[in-house]
Amino acid sequence: MRIEITKEWCLRMAEIEANAEIGAGLYALDPVFDGETMPANETNEEPSIAFGRFVRLMRRDRGLTLEKLAEDTDVEISELVEIEDDTHHKPELRTVYQLANYFKVPRSNLLQVAGLTAPRDNRLIDEAVRFAARSESVAVLTPEERAALEAFVAVLSEEK
Amino acid sequence: MAAKKTMTLNLTDAEMRVLDELCEKKDLSKTAVLRQALRLYQLIESRVDKGDKLFFEDEKTKEKAEVMML
Amino acid sequence: MTITVSPIFLFNAERSEPEAAELWDGITDQQLGDWEGEWVPELFKAVQKLHRAGVERRHWPQSRHWNWRKKTEALQGMLAHLGFSIVCNGMTQGMMIVDTTMKRCRIEEQKGKNLVYVEFVENAPWNRPELAQPPLYRGIGSILVRAAIALSQEEEFKGRIGLHSLPQANSFYANTCGMSDLGMDPDHQDLRYFEMTPEQAEAFIAKGNQP
Repeated sequence: MRIEITKEWCLRMAEIEANAEIGAGLYALDPVFDGETMPANETNEEPSIAFGRFVRLMRRDRGLTLEKLAEDTDVEISELVEIEDDTHHKPELRTVYQLANYFKVPRSNLLQVAGLTAPRDNRLIDEAVRFAARSESVAVLTPEERAALEAFVAVLSEEK
Repeated sequence: MAAKKTMTLNLTDAEMRVLDELCEKKDLSKTAVLRQALRLYQLIESRVDKGDKLFFEDEKTKEKAEVMML
Repeated sequence: MTITVSPIFLFNAERSEPEAAELWDGITDQQLGDWEGEWVPELFKAVQKLHRAGVERRHWPQSRHWNWRKKTEALQGMLAHLGFSIVCNGMTQGMMIVDTTMKRCRIEEQKGKNLVYVEFVENAPWNRPELAQPPLYRGIGSILVRAAIALSQEEEFKGRIGLHSLPQANSFYANTCGMSDLGMDPDHQDLRYFEMTPEQAEAFIAKGNQP
């Protein structure tokens, strides 16, 4: 099919269109990986629990409110709430970076604990599970919780 | 559109009446209706060949009736 | 497959001047080659930082349409689906796939009537503002919409077209194209559905004829 479009029309519309986004259709949106992707439910549950628990205890240990931590790390407060309370929540990459910087632990370790990268260090993951189990109480930071937190921070802080 | 060829089509009165009704309803010429029908027919055939099933669903009851394609 | 080429122009933003281009009424092996050899690597660069950080593919923001070749090949020979592509400077700059058979109009005044449904539109990565600063060619979206309208007229659908816009493109389809916004469609991942009436199609074409 030959379509007659004048040069003037093309250029006038190019001017109006400018730098607009034009993507349309489900096919432009769908994440499709030809079977290369890992289904979401294959990810390890425990590290996510550990990640939320870690953020909560580190925050409480510093006597910070969620608002203050959100402000200090420049992370949306809603994202922090989800991280602390929803074990299925997958945090944003940037958020994990910000938190790793703020709590001074290596990013790559925290990414593994957050379940954003494939576990490479089994001991780290084992420790994360143990930490999640030992730090179950969420009332006040007890000496036991503090001990659990400190032990986990020590492992987390190890640079490879 | 690519170059078109013309053909003669033999239809009964009843078939011609249906074609006229469809043209009226869809506001299309006879050629456009038949081309549309051919596309739809090809699409359904290719899906059925792949093993897909064709259903009509009742909007209210959500009941599905399979259209037999032999 | 026989391809008909229509001459068009794009605006080259880098050189600030018009550049002759072509509108093809098909998607050929050349497009698939460009897509695999140029589009995908360019998209890949945009997510390379994440890749280097060890983030899995499924977390990449732009990780999508990796099996586009398969999809396109499945449509080959199907009368219901047609492709269009824009070629400039020897490279595919934009692509569109339309469906002339399966969808019907939703706007009340033309409800149930046939239309050209735009299944897929995409600009090359270097023409996309979120990936390239500044984007190279302008006008691709308008010319593809114009092509969809021309096909709709050719099929006696009078210029009626419809599509589901990606969130970042809503403004283009609503304002630049002047299509009716029928709201979020829960059956299409909450993308907004836009439809064009024959009058809106006329107005869109007239828009580009005004100085």
